[in-house]
Amino acid sequence: MLAQQLLNGLVVSGVYALFSLGFTLVFGIQRILNLAHGAIFMTGAMVAYYVVDSGMPLWLGFIVAILASGLLSVLVEIVCFRRLRKTGDEEFGGIISSIGAGLVIMTIAQQVSNTQVLRFPFETFPVVIFKFWGLRVSMLQLFMASAAIILVLLLGYYVYKTAFGRRIRAVTDNEHAAMLMGINPNFIYSQTYFIAGALAGAAGVLVGLAFNSITFLMGEPYLMFAFAIIILGGLGSIPGALLASLVFGMVQTLTIAYLPSGLTDTIIFASLFLILLVRPHGLLGKEDAGNLRGRR
Amino acid sequence: MNGLVAGYLPLFDIYLIHLGLAFSQYIVLRAGVFSLATAAFAGIGAYTAGIFAVNLGLHPALGLLAGTLTGMAAAIFLSVPLARLRGVYQAIATVAFIQICLSLNIYSENLTGGAMGLNNIPKTVGTGTLFVFAALATYLIWAIERGRLGRAFNTIRQDEAVAASLGINITRHQMLAFAISGALAGLFGGLEAYHSYALDPNQFGFHLLITALSYVILGGRNSVVGPLIGTAILIILPEIARPLAENRMVIYGIMLIVVINYLPKGIADTAIDAIRARRLKARGDAK
Repeated sequence: MLAQQLLNGLVVSGVYALFSLGFTLVFGIQRILNLAHGAIFMTGAMVAYYVVDSGMPLWLGFIVAILASGLLSVLVEIVCFRRLRKTGDEEFGGIISSIGAGLVIMTIAQQVSNTQVLRFPFETFPVVIFKFWGLRVSMLQLFMASAAIILVLLLGYYVYKTAFGRRIRAVTDNEHAAMLMGINPNFIYSQTYFIAGALAGAAGVLVGLAFNSITFLMGEPYLMFAFAIIILGGLGSIPGALLASLVFGMVQTLTIAYLPSGLTDTIIFASLFLILLVRPHGLLGKEDAGNLRGRR
Repeated sequence: MNGLVAGYLPLFDIYLIHLGLAFSQYIVLRAGVFSLATAAFAGIGAYTAGIFAVNLGLHPALGLLAGTLTGMAAAIFLSVPLARLRGVYQAIATVAFIQICLSLNIYSENLTGGAMGLNNIPKTVGTGTLFVFAALATYLIWAIERGRLGRAFNTIRQDEAVAASLGINITRHQMLAFAISGALAGLFGGLEAYHSYALDPNQFGFHLLITALSYVILGGRNSVVGPLIGTAILIILPEIARPLAENRMVIYGIMLIVVINYLPKGIADTAIDAIRARRLKARGDAK
């Protein structure tokens, strides 16, 4: 039973990792808390649904969804944050602006879906269940876990091993110095937002497949959990977000399995509160919590 | 004429209640605290008042007092840990606080009615009472703005180091701002409970946070006129644009983006600044 729960927790962690990596990537590079991230995640799931609904295969839906949510994320950056960064009010203004963007995206999704719960047609993803060592694993869970691992590895390779990634890290470190080195920060920002949105969209499709229920509100709980994850991992830290997703997915699965179900959220957010008090910069974050202005 | 007034009276009631919540959000932002906890305090106040009336059968005045005090107590309690955090971290912590209140509310079914909400609250508050309390709240905020406290808040918001060097106790002032915010939210939450027969836990969640925040952002964060105007516009607008009522949230969203990008000071404050600049210029020309 415990082993089964741990396995389930691992799959959940993968989805959380995809969602919160983009969130933390954006915060790391721009110091902006993009509250429209949940809406972008939801867009991914919806686009995949409509592609599958129109008779296309699932793999095509997955790719279209990733591209669409990546582009939407870039659009959010251009419309909501670009001007704010010039005026230097992005910390406060970014939150307000992205709340606005999230509202717009979610209301449009609500209109498009007529406030209904969308479900993928039966057998969109083949229901196959493997049994070994007394554990039950569905094909879907395997797919989720492997998709999460592949995407995370790709992200890691991109950010830490390629020239593009080096530019992203340079801008994260010091935007001004990076500009002097001939890097165009706006291009880097668009790239980062595309990656963040694409990861969130992928997570959206996976969650949509796993629970087979897609609504315009599905992003909100994930956004709230992502808060907890990136705080635990340290705002802006990629390895931190990975580690925290793992811890968080496990803890959540175990509390749901073994504790009164109504209290799960209370426990999660109370522990988020405690982490903020004891170690505001998280497990692996840098110690600049609260001093976010000294970068430029 | 009478029919017209009666028709819009419920709207006016909503305006008065939301005005109180807008002031609750306004006062913390003014003191330089990025707290979004107004929705939670309003929920605490509303449920306290509701439980006082339904379960204990006490007089509404007592319920309102209790709502105000519990809202204030929760705010003071929250201000202690929040004093250690800044900026985005404060915002996240207060959002977490709202979630904790929400899920505890749904969990403790015996006391609060859980997801079903608290029903059958006797309606004891009319437009008159609401108006009196809203006027008092406006006066309170105006008095704070004119006095030493308002200047201290301004200094803290603009630069904490300067404020500290001038001998302003930052922690204590921010705690005070929190206490006022919690008391206002608790009071108007209580009024909402006595005005609307029933309470629903999700009423005091993320949605109310966004609403209260939009009032202040749209109106302006630096003068008492800001929340007055911001609340008025956002409450009246969906009524004028009836065909757009379904897309109310799109309007809210677009407005938030446009205002924060192009009028970061809010409508009222931008107007006030323009008038002042004009006056100064006129005075300069006269010399």
